[in-house]
Amino acid sequence: MANAKEMKEVLFGPVFANNPIALQVLGICSALAVTSSLKNALIMSIALTLVTAFSSLFISMIRNHIPSSVRIIVQMTIIASLVIVVDQVLQAVVYSTAKELSTFIGLIITNCIVMGRAEAYAMKSPPTMSFLDGIGNGLGYSVVLLTVGFIRELFGAGTLFGVEILPLISEGGWYQPMGLLVMPFSSFFIVGAFIWALRTWKKDQVEAKA
Amino acid sequence: MSTKNESMGKTLGVVVGLCLVCAIVVSFASVQLRPMQQANKNEDIQRNILAVAGFDKVKNVSEVFNQNIESRVVSLKTGEFVEDVKAETFDFEATKFDAKRSYKLSKEEDKAGIQRITNNSPVYFAKDDQGQVSTIILPIQGYGLWGVMYGFLALEADGETIKSINFYKHSETPGLGGEIQNPKWTALWEGKELPIDVVKGSAGGNEHKVDGLSGATLTSNGVDHTVDFWTSDKAFGPFLAKVRKGALN
Repeated sequence: MANAKEMKEVLFGPVFANNPIALQVLGICSALAVTSSLKNALIMSIALTLVTAFSSLFISMIRNHIPSSVRIIVQMTIIASLVIVVDQVLQAVVYSTAKELSTFIGLIITNCIVMGRAEAYAMKSPPTMSFLDGIGNGLGYSVVLLTVGFIRELFGAGTLFGVEILPLISEGGWYQPMGLLVMPFSSFFIVGAFIWALRTWKKDQVEAKA
Repeated sequence: MSTKNESMGKTLGVVVGLCLVCAIVVSFASVQLRPMQQANKNEDIQRNILAVAGFDKVKNVSEVFNQNIESRVVSLKTGEFVEDVKAETFDFEATKFDAKRSYKLSKEEDKAGIQRITNNSPVYFAKDDQGQVSTIILPIQGYGLWGVMYGFLALEADGETIKSINFYKHSETPGLGGEIQNPKWTALWEGKELPIDVVKGSAGGNEHKVDGLSGATLTSNGVDHTVDFWTSDKAFGPFLAKVRKGALN
């Protein structure tokens, strides 16, 4: 059984030191698409964290029995089943958000973070550690998504979780919203700035010049 | 990884076993959650009916709906109300494929691209303080560019003037055809008169014309055909004719 220090590293390492989006630059597509509001970003983060954690757990549990010739298909089947379950739950519990996220929930199946953790970590590690690794990477993804969602919703629409923070001019306030931030591509700027800030803080993430 | 994992028997065993487990999990989730999902869908439809009738940002959807909206079922052939079918339980998809309660449209008739049409359809009425019908809400659907667009068309009590239109379910391209949901575009419909043409360029003040969406000609055509079809003799035409003669108030 792994010791506490190792578990802590697996769980919190991906948040900043080894962030799946900022360092590995995986899962960018959904980070662009679902972050126009903080609520969508939060629900997407929870969905992805759960899927990554449980797919890693289940794959790790049967890792010694998976024939290597069909291992990708086995991983995909487990991931896809979990995503369908998550999608069904969202449709039952938070219908309007599920409607907005629609295709992006389905696209968790092809999110490289989930596949990447299954193939790189869960296939070689015991279930508890794999589960923590999944949660950790989900947290790393969530940190970026929530940061982007926070900036985009606050400055793009003047609200947070739909609650008015900066009163808009169009509604009698003083704030002129930045229309740019409502468009998906603005996430590129924010994710870029996030990576820049992170690498200024943690210099070891800077790639060596060729 | 041991070599015995690679045998044909083991591979098949693992794959079949996994599929069984996953299938059971997925089916269980789907069956267990269906009633909640259905309730959400119904509430979403009620919310959209309220929205098209002019009730914005309603909190308690079903309560407001029951207080303000009257649901009836109307025969699309005669335009008469049908009493033995309940609007609350009317399932358009199920009815559409039941040969007894629907029929196939010929190619010339099928302008909206929906292939079959039901014999009856729900209609919804919003009433004013005096109990007079103030808004008639017709469910409409038709093929856009990528798939069927589902929406509601709200008319004034005269059966001619458009109050608003909205689409609650469609698969048009976000940012182009998807703009059929944009309140700025749907606001163009307010006060226009049937029959409507969705045109390219400026419709100006013409009361029978609405500006199409730029970059989404096929979606605009789809909306045009959908509204034409549902207000024609094949659909709500006979009912609207009665409304215009004053059958409601």
